[in-house]
Amino acid sequence: MAKLDGKRLLACCANGAGSSLMMENAIKKVLKKYNIKPSELRHCAVSEGKSAARNYDLVFCARTFVKNFEGVGANTIVIPLKNVMSDKEIEAALKEADLLD
Amino acid sequence: MASVLQNIVEKKHYRFIDGEGVSWQEAVRLSAESLVADGSVSEDYYKQIVACIEKFGPYVVFEHNIAMPHTTENATGAFKTGIGFMVSKHMIDFGVDEFGDKKEANLFFTLSAVNPEEHMNNIQQLSFIFMNEPLIDALAQARTPEDILAAEAKFPCEEME
Repeated sequence: MAKLDGKRLLACCANGAGSSLMMENAIKKVLKKYNIKPSELRHCAVSEGKSAARNYDLVFCARTFVKNFEGVGANTIVIPLKNVMSDKEIEAALKEADLLD
Repeated sequence: MASVLQNIVEKKHYRFIDGEGVSWQEAVRLSAESLVADGSVSEDYYKQIVACIEKFGPYVVFEHNIAMPHTTENATGAFKTGIGFMVSKHMIDFGVDEFGDKKEANLFFTLSAVNPEEHMNNIQQLSFIFMNEPLIDALAQARTPEDILAAEAKFPCEEME
């Protein structure tokens, strides 16, 4: 079983309508490549994500929004991205966090 | 199904500007003008986008000088889902982000989102376009709607079916 199987994934951007959707698509690409089956993958606005984050295992956001997730708790890993549509960057970040097998 | 670029041309959702000395706020307004023209968004719609960028910084400016100004789904003044495409001959300066990276754009894809399915499809196609560097370079050189279609014909996005 992949490390991220059954995990809950969230992608956040300012509005929850533009770049978070792009992020979600890029994340899907990586999940497909590694045949990972998370239990949930969705996107939303940072304002909503702030309180929702603790219910997720992984939160992806543009690096400018990282500060919104300070104090989210040890159970949630926040992954900041420089380029939100880069599946390569997402893959590298997951590798770095030792979440890929 | 028509591609987003074909839709842009068909709906006349494009604009070509010189852009010299144009502020990013003004550029955002200009990029939405073609959406205003056919009633896709209100004249004031762009102000929400400007406010959003002022609040969160120029995070809507991606790599390769692409800007995707947008607000939330079903924002006030958004009546139809669409993309206002704009090419500026000169770079539009969005300033420096909090990490010290200079942000500037010459390609604008300004979004209005009303219909979730249509919007989702737009975003999906745009992410393929944004990762297609030869196409992006060709679009940045476009000065006419025919140039947009020619660029897409020359550098198609293979992921798109």
